[in-house]
Amino acid sequence: MASSEIEPALHEQSGSLVLSNADESDRRFANLRGVRWRVNLGVLPSLASSIDEFRKAAANSRRRYALLRRTLLINPHVLKDENSSLNFITDDPLSQNPNSTWGQLFRISELAKTLDQDLSRLYQEHYWCYFQTPGCQGMLRRILLLWCLKHPEYGYRQGMHELLAPLLYVLHVDIMRLSEVRKDYEDYFTDRFDSLSSEERDITYTFDFNKFMDSMNDGIGSQGYSKKIKSLDELDPEVQSIVMLSDSYGAESELGSVLSEKFMEHDAYCMFDALMSGTGGCVAMASFFSYSPPSGSHTGLTPVLEACTSFYRLLAVVDSSLHSHLVELGVEPQYFGLRWLRVLFGREFLLQDLLLVWDEIFSAGSSAETDTTDEDSRSHSLGIVDCPRGTLILGMAVSMILYLRSTLLSSENATCCLQRLLNFPEITDLNKIIQKAKLLQVLVLNSDVRSALSIDGVFDQSSYVPARTKSCPSGSTSPRSPLILAPESYWEKKWRVLHKVKEEERQKVLETQSPPTQKKRMWLKVTKLFRAVTDLTHHKTGNGEKEANSSPVSQSLLEDLSQQLLPELEEANSIDCPVAMNKEDNSPQETEEDIMDFHSATEESIISGNSPSEDNASISSDPISPVLGSNYLETGSDSSTGIGSPVSSYPISAAIDSNLFLDENYEDPQTSGNSPVSISPYQNNEYLVNDQSDEDDPTDKYVGVTKDHKLLHGIVQWFRKFKRTFSSEEKIDINASDATKTNNVEIEKNQISCYSEFHPQASSSGQNRDSDQNLLKTLKNLGQSMLKHIQVIELVFQQQPGMVQTGTVGNLAKTNLIGKGQVTATTALMELRKISNLLSDM
Amino acid sequence: MVLVLALGDLHVPHRAADLPPKFKSMLVPGKIQHIICTGNLCIKEIHDYLKTICPDLHIVRGEFDEDARYPENKTLTIGQFKLGLCHGHQVIPWGDLDSLAMLQRQLGVDILVTGHTHQFTAYKHEGGVVINPGSATGAYSSINQDVNPSFVLMDIDGFRAVVYVYELIDGEVKVDKIEFKKPPTSNSAP
Repeated sequence: MASSEIEPALHEQSGSLVLSNADESDRRFANLRGVRWRVNLGVLPSLASSIDEFRKAAANSRRRYALLRRTLLINPHVLKDENSSLNFITDDPLSQNPNSTWGQLFRISELAKTLDQDLSRLYQEHYWCYFQTPGCQGMLRRILLLWCLKHPEYGYRQGMHELLAPLLYVLHVDIMRLSEVRKDYEDYFTDRFDSLSSEERDITYTFDFNKFMDSMNDGIGSQGYSKKIKSLDELDPEVQSIVMLSDSYGAESELGSVLSEKFMEHDAYCMFDALMSGTGGCVAMASFFSYSPPSGSHTGLTPVLEACTSFYRLLAVVDSSLHSHLVELGVEPQYFGLRWLRVLFGREFLLQDLLLVWDEIFSAGSSAETDTTDEDSRSHSLGIVDCPRGTLILGMAVSMILYLRSTLLSSENATCCLQRLLNFPEITDLNKIIQKAKLLQVLVLNSDVRSALSIDGVFDQSSYVPARTKSCPSGSTSPRSPLILAPESYWEKKWRVLHKVKEEERQKVLETQSPPTQKKRMWLKVTKLFRAVTDLTHHKTGNGEKEANSSPVSQSLLEDLSQQLLPELEEANSIDCPVAMNKEDNSPQETEEDIMDFHSATEESIISGNSPSEDNASISSDPISPVLGSNYLETGSDSSTGIGSPVSSYPISAAIDSNLFLDENYEDPQTSGNSPVSISPYQNNEYLVNDQSDEDDPTDKYVGVTKDHKLLHGIVQWFRKFKRTFSSEEKIDINASDATKTNNVEIEKNQISCYSEFHPQASSSGQNRDSDQNLLKTLKNLGQSMLKHIQVIELVFQQQPGMVQTGTVGNLAKTNLIGKGQVTATTALMELRKISNLLSDM
Repeated sequence: MVLVLALGDLHVPHRAADLPPKFKSMLVPGKIQHIICTGNLCIKEIHDYLKTICPDLHIVRGEFDEDARYPENKTLTIGQFKLGLCHGHQVIPWGDLDSLAMLQRQLGVDILVTGHTHQFTAYKHEGGVVINPGSATGAYSSINQDVNPSFVLMDIDGFRAVVYVYELIDGEVKVDKIEFKKPPTSNSAP
């Protein structure tokens, strides 16, 4: 299961012991979803606890429910007998005292009436006849009734029954499984209280977990022979656990049997209550139903509206074009978000899919209980972005929107969009959506983005984007991306003129592969996302742990993506597309690099100095070749914009534009022959260089330089986020000049255009580059241009302090690092100056 | 659980203007499932008003009722109980238990509701109950000059009926209740 790949990664920080535990417990009750959910929702203790603990927790929760039921579900006739004629005035049916038993009774019956209306329509359309059986309806009604009576501040709202129904269903499935097993292994369900001696019972109940696990491994093959096996310990472990869970004579006796048909209602109530009130610091689903803002809210929005706004903001971060499209059309998130969130996507997925989605959502809540949420859980009003479950819900919502991306972008009015969103298509690849949601969750959990997502974030994306679209001339939009609005820079225009022919060629290719733009765009978007994610994690911690966390996620995402896109790309240009290449070059040593490896193993090999990965560099002859550098440039621009946008309201559309160019470039490798793909090595480089600069190790400088050549892309990013690795920037410029030698100038320019948008003063460097293009062959010119570049960089460098104040929301903590970076940067500049002088002398 | 409102002898507008406001405020829609009325409303407006409290309205004809379509007596079954309804001016002597018991046997009912005397009474008699809800408006009668407004609400739940008596005494509503259990075996009069 996909979750098992990710969950351990999340546990990794807390040590290997926990990891192994989680691993084992993940497998435990793998087939008993109801038990797992109860654990995840906090009704039962953690998966690693012993059976006895389970039983105690189950018994206690059931007792609570039974008590509640006794007190709240009044039988007026019984009460009347008890206090007959004592307070007969308050007890009459027509009494106007709302607190009289009759008054309560009338309220309850009214509630029951509305409940019945909803329950009778529950899952009617999907032939889940279980929900229409009278037994199930009765349980659902009682549970909801009790919950509503217990929580009069919320009362009953439509949708609650759809939250409850799946919970009851999984319990029901567990019971069905129990009865199945009971049929097969009847011997072991006989009253062991009678048959076993007390000694034997002791052994059975005190057997330790390790033994359990051992027998689990041993017992796999024994299923066929189980009839002959006499001892319970030798049974198939799954069956064994079922037997254990349903035993009526353990701790707490019958009340404690974890799987029990008799107490399904009790268990379902406890799960429902836990889900609604958000135990363990998780988001309280009940708050989604409330009409008033929480007490601590300063926005005056109800929680569900707040959540809707949050996921729109997240969407703006990961896919600004789609977000701006929706905002322009006036598709407000609450139009569909209310429905999605209140029933936790229950109406968007079929039940069997929904169970998988909820698996993830619930386990997200429990897995992170350990770290941040514990302190937060005390405070009353938890925002949805504050807990892992909430963030996964947000991620899920965004990933569902992204799933519809192409259709949404192609629809021209709000009605169409809403039609798409509200009639969610049947999902063929649910796993992909979940994976994407998890990735987004990681993104949200990052504090930087969270600050941007929170309601009182510094920038307001929704208001910003339309303003921008107005400002830019419509004619300047890229011909291939009518929806993406960005001002075309001078360099882009120039590039267009220069490479018109090339572009035409490409367009032909595009035409042949009819609808590839959408797919590609999606691909780009996701890659951008990955980069953003990994990048953010790097920045945040700057140490290996965090990378390890994020990497599996993004890696899997990339793989996922590549699988999706591979066929198309192959169709399109029947040569190795980047994706295919990347698949080859997964170098095992650093997971994080693996991800980015996807694009360039070569880069990594330079840095880490391990040759094997060079092979992976695939077609691109020489890994250190300047050609690669140029490519890096382009990707750099892409990534930097992608990252910059969430943090500081950077014109996102520009980023997308550059993405498109990048897109074109993917097809390039064949034509240019010289520059095979290698999209974004920068990530690794950047990181490593960063480390070096932190260490202030001048000896490493040279190595750093070579790396930095490829770091062009990093410029913008650095400026925005760290501002410390200026050395890299210089190198980038050198790199740029190198790049001009190749035919890939256009990409570079593209990058520059982005760059210049950030920093107007940097535009002069762009001119220099242009001159480079004309004077490719002489080193002298190269040196001169280098000099100019350096000057420009120095200029930028001087203005750096001001930018710290204006830009970047989330890097206050990082500012202290800037000093170091500046030192290294200045030394690097000096060196470069020398080199360029030498060159120009030649 | 079914709530049945039994009332009668309102004599609007001849002997009383309307129901007492206190009663009116208590009789709200949504609570009561059936109304049985012993007649003498006497005008259509009261009939309409009762309809607003509960649409399931059963009325028998009193001697002053204008609407001639009301039947002389009526039986209906609620829960496990069979209810008989008659105004009572036909049963002489008026309000006499033995005569009413005879009518009860005639109709074959467990609970007989009659009016006319403007006096609340409730008798357990021969395994059944004979109830007179009195006059809901407190209208005088040829027997009684001084009448307290009263009506009866029956809570019928399976084999068990609880009779709530609402009486307006000196401007205060007094509630009393009488419980009645129908023995499941020896119930139906042949």
